[in-house]
Amino acid sequence: MEIENSAELKELAASLVAFGKINGAEEIEVSIVDGYEFSVDVRLGKIENLVEAGSRYLGLRILKDKKTAFATSSDLSRETLQSLVKNAIKRSSFASQDEFSGLPAPSSRKINISSLRLFDPEISTLDSEKKISLAMETEKIALEDKRITNSHGASFQTNEIKSVLANSNGFLEEYDQTYFGLSVGLQAGDTDSRVEGSWSSSKIHFNELERPEEVAKKAVERTVRQLNPRKIRTQNVPMIFEPLMTSWILGFLFACVSGVSIYQKTSFLVDKLEERISNSSVTVIDDGLMPRMLGTRPFDAEGVPCQKTRVVRRGILKNYLCNTYAARKLKLKSTGNSSGTGVSPNNFYLEPGSSSPEDIISSLDKGLILTRTLGHGLNPVTGDISRGAFGLWVENGEIAYPVSEITISGNLGEILNSIELIGNDIDFLSPISGPTIKVGELTVAGQ
Amino acid sequence: MPEIKRRTFLKASAAGLGSIIFSGLNCKGIKKMKNPPHLVFEDHFHFSQEDLQKFLNISLSRGGDFSEIYLEYKIYNSINMEEDIIKETAESISLGLGIRVLSGEKTGYGYTNDLSREKIKKTALTAASIASGTTLRNTASLNPVQFPHNFYPLLIHPSQESLEEKIRLVKKAYSAARNFDSKIKKVKVSLMDLDQHITIVNSEGLKVSDARPLIKMVCLAVAEKEEKREAGFSGGGGRVGMEYFAHVLTPEEIGQDAAKEALNLLEAITPPAGEMPVILAPGHSGVLVHEAVGHLLEADFIRKKTSIFWNKMGKKVGSSQITIYDDPTIPNFRGSYNIDDEGTIPKKTLLIIKGNLTGLLQDRLSAKLMKKPLTGHGRRENYTCIPIPRMSNTYIDRGEYSPEEIIKSVKKGFYAQKYQGGQVEDSGKFTFSVNSGFLIENGKLTSPTKQATLIGTNIDILNDIEMIGSDLKFGLQTGSCGKEGQTVPVNDGCPTIKIAKMTVGGQK
Repeated sequence: MEIENSAELKELAASLVAFGKINGAEEIEVSIVDGYEFSVDVRLGKIENLVEAGSRYLGLRILKDKKTAFATSSDLSRETLQSLVKNAIKRSSFASQDEFSGLPAPSSRKINISSLRLFDPEISTLDSEKKISLAMETEKIALEDKRITNSHGASFQTNEIKSVLANSNGFLEEYDQTYFGLSVGLQAGDTDSRVEGSWSSSKIHFNELERPEEVAKKAVERTVRQLNPRKIRTQNVPMIFEPLMTSWILGFLFACVSGVSIYQKTSFLVDKLEERISNSSVTVIDDGLMPRMLGTRPFDAEGVPCQKTRVVRRGILKNYLCNTYAARKLKLKSTGNSSGTGVSPNNFYLEPGSSSPEDIISSLDKGLILTRTLGHGLNPVTGDISRGAFGLWVENGEIAYPVSEITISGNLGEILNSIELIGNDIDFLSPISGPTIKVGELTVAGQ
Repeated sequence: MPEIKRRTFLKASAAGLGSIIFSGLNCKGIKKMKNPPHLVFEDHFHFSQEDLQKFLNISLSRGGDFSEIYLEYKIYNSINMEEDIIKETAESISLGLGIRVLSGEKTGYGYTNDLSREKIKKTALTAASIASGTTLRNTASLNPVQFPHNFYPLLIHPSQESLEEKIRLVKKAYSAARNFDSKIKKVKVSLMDLDQHITIVNSEGLKVSDARPLIKMVCLAVAEKEEKREAGFSGGGGRVGMEYFAHVLTPEEIGQDAAKEALNLLEAITPPAGEMPVILAPGHSGVLVHEAVGHLLEADFIRKKTSIFWNKMGKKVGSSQITIYDDPTIPNFRGSYNIDDEGTIPKKTLLIIKGNLTGLLQDRLSAKLMKKPLTGHGRRENYTCIPIPRMSNTYIDRGEYSPEEIIKSVKKGFYAQKYQGGQVEDSGKFTFSVNSGFLIENGKLTSPTKQATLIGTNIDILNDIEMIGSDLKFGLQTGSCGKEGQTVPVNDGCPTIKIAKMTVGGQK
C-alpha cells in the first residue's frame, strides 16, 4: 500500500480505530511512526557505510472487559492490520481483568505544537554530499592531532520522524520531528596501551549542532587526557562527576522515580513522596515542553499532554513520573511520561547551580573526577551502584594524572544526600542531563 | 549521549542466570527424536526469481562489486505476568527487506518495509549509489541452495503452541517463585518467542532460506526482609521447541531459581574492594570469554587495527591452558544458526589454542578485504541492519583441574557466580557486573556476597589465568549481545576458572 502524505496516515489510524470498535474492542489506540533515516560512517577518510531508508511502524493497544492486548506491525497493508486488530481482540480475552488498565481520559489541555519547534526545515536543504563532508571533516580534524593513533570513524546522521496517534476517546493528532547527530570515536597510544574516547552532538535543529571542529576537539581532548593512566590503591574519596556522568547518575535516578518501578516496588524510593531524599540544593525536573530540546514532545505515547513536573524540589521528593497505568495504581495523575508500554523521560534534568566547573575542581583537595564508566551494576531495588570506571586524579585542586582499571561503588541515596556543589554548566546534550557536581565519598577499588 | 561503537553483553533483563551442563541439553529428551521435522520456510514476499534477479541487477547498475537482498519476515509473541495477573499479551509482525552493495571497502545500504516494486527499485538504487562506476555488471543467475543440517531440531514449534498453554507455563513459573517463601513479595515472568524467516539472494547467484525459532522465559523475584529488598533472576530457552520446558528446564525450576537468588541476596554482604584472586563459576562466567576475547577477535576490529589483538595473530596471548571456540552449530543453542545472515554455512571456529591466537570471526566484507576464508559469523539484528562479524556460542574449553581443587587453592579471594553482564572496549579494558558470589576463605566458599564489579585488561587476565576446571558449562540461553546498536542472541560458557588477581569493586 502506498501512502504518500500524512493525511493518509492519519486517516489510516482513524479508520483502524473505527474498525476495532466495530469488531468489539471497547477501547483502542493506534500509533504510527513514519521515519526517514540517513546515516554515513566514514573512517580514515573513506566512506564505510551509507544508509538511506524510509520505514513505517504501527502499534496497537486494545482493551475489552479491562483486558489488554498489544500488537505492532511494519507491514501496513490493510489486510495485515485488520487481522492484527481482530487477533488482538481475541487475545485480550486471555489476559486478566485489570481495573487500572485503559486509555487516559480525554484532556482539555492543548499544546501548541508549532511553538515547540521540533521540526527543522533545513533538513531538506542538506544534500548527501554535505552530510558526508561533515563526517569527513570531523574525522580529518581529529586525526590532525598527532597523539591520535587510530580512529573508530566519524558518523553523521539525520532522521525525520512523523508520529501519529489516534484513540477511541476521540484523540487524533500528529507531529513532526527532526534529528541531527555528529560523532567521532578515537584511539590514542600504542596497541598495548590504547585509550579510547569519543564525542557526539545531537540536536533537533541543525544550526545548534556542534561544528566538526568542536566535535573533533572534544573527542581528541577526551581521548588523550587518558594517556599513561595509573592504577590507584583502594580507598574512599570524594568525587566530581562531569556533566555526562551526572546524566548517567540521573538516568539511574529516573529509573528509581518511574511510577512503574514504584508500583512494582523495584525502587528504593517507594513510599518516599514528600520525604527528603537529598540535600536542599537539589532540584530535579522533567519538562516535556522546552522548545527545541531532544526530550520534548507535545503529548506522550498515550496522548496525555506533556508538562513540566518537579520531581525533586530542594531535596524533597515531590512526584513520581507516571504513565496512565502507573498513575492509577498509585492514585496519582499521569505526568505525560508514557513510552507506550512503560515510562520514559522527557527532558529530565538537575537544575544547575552557580559554581563554575573550574571552581568545583579547585575545591577538591584530593579525589577523583569521574569521566567514564563501563559495564552495568545499577540496582534500583537498593540504589546500589558498582561500575568499572575511568577518571582523573585530583591533588590540591588540580588534575594530577588519569586513572584506569578502577571500580567505583556507592549508593544513589547516599550520593544524593552528599551533593556538595552543583555546577552552572548544563548543556542538554541528551534528554537526561545535568551539570558538573561534587559529591561525598565513594569507594574506589584499585590495587 | 549515545556512546558510539561500544559493545555490551547483557543477560536478559539483567538476568540470564542459572546454568546447564553442556551435554545435558542433548541427552535430555531432545536427542531421542528420530526424524525431527524440518522447518518449512514460509515465503511472505511472493517475488519470482526473475523479480529478485532484476532488483539485484539494479543494485549493481552503478558498478558495485557485490550486491545482496535480505528478505525477512518475523513474528514475535510475548506474555507478561506480574501482580498475580496476566498483564497483557503482544504480537509483533515485521516484514521488510534490506539491499546491500559492496564497492571496495564501502557499503551502501537501503531498506524498506513498503514492498511495492517501485519502492524496492528505489531502495536498490539508493544502495547502488555507493559505487561510482557506470559499467553495468551482470549478476549470476540465482541458484537455490538447500543445506543438509538442522541445528534447531524440535518437536513442538513455539509458534504452533496455543496461547493458553503458554500462559499456563508462565503461571507455573510465577507461582513457583511467589510461593517459594513468604519473603518473596513480587514476581514478574515473561515468555517471549520469535519465529524468523529469512531469504538471502546475492549477485554471486546464491539463494538460500532459513526459518529460525527462538524462545525465552525469564523470571524476576523480589524478596523483602525488614527494610531490605533484593531481586533475583532466572530464565531459560534457546532455539528449542515447547518440549524444552518439560524435559530440560521446567518453569517451576526457573521460578524457584529466581526466588532462591533473591533470598540469598538478603543475607549477602558487599564484598571487600581491591585486588585479589578471583574464581569464576562455570557456565555464567562465559561472559568473560565473550568480553575479554570474543569481541576483540571479530574481524572488523582486527582489520581496522582497533583491537588490541590486531598484531598478535599466531602469537601467544595467554596461559597455555586456554583453548577457545565459537560454535554456531551446537543444536538448540540460542546463538546457533543454520546459515548466517549473509547465507554462509557456519563453522565451529577455533579462536585460541593453548594460549595461541589462531582464528577470527569473519563476515564477507572483512574476509574479502583480509583475503581469509569465511567462517559464517556475519550476523544482523534485522533487515534494517548491515551484517557485521559477531559471536554465536563462545566458550573456553575444559581444562584438567577439578572445581574443588581450584577453590581449595585460594586462601583469601572472591568467587564470582552470577552476572548482570559485561562490557569491553577495543583497548581490551572490560568489566563484569557480578550479581552474586561468595568470599573465599582458607579454600572454602564462605559468606554470600551481592553486587560487585570486576575490571581488568584482557591481556593481563588471559596471562593471569592459573587454573581451568574440567567442568565446562554454558549460560542459561537468555543472553543477548549488543554491537554498534545491533542486538543478537548469543550464548557462552566456560569451566571453573582461577585468575591470580583481579580488581574487585566492593566496599572498603
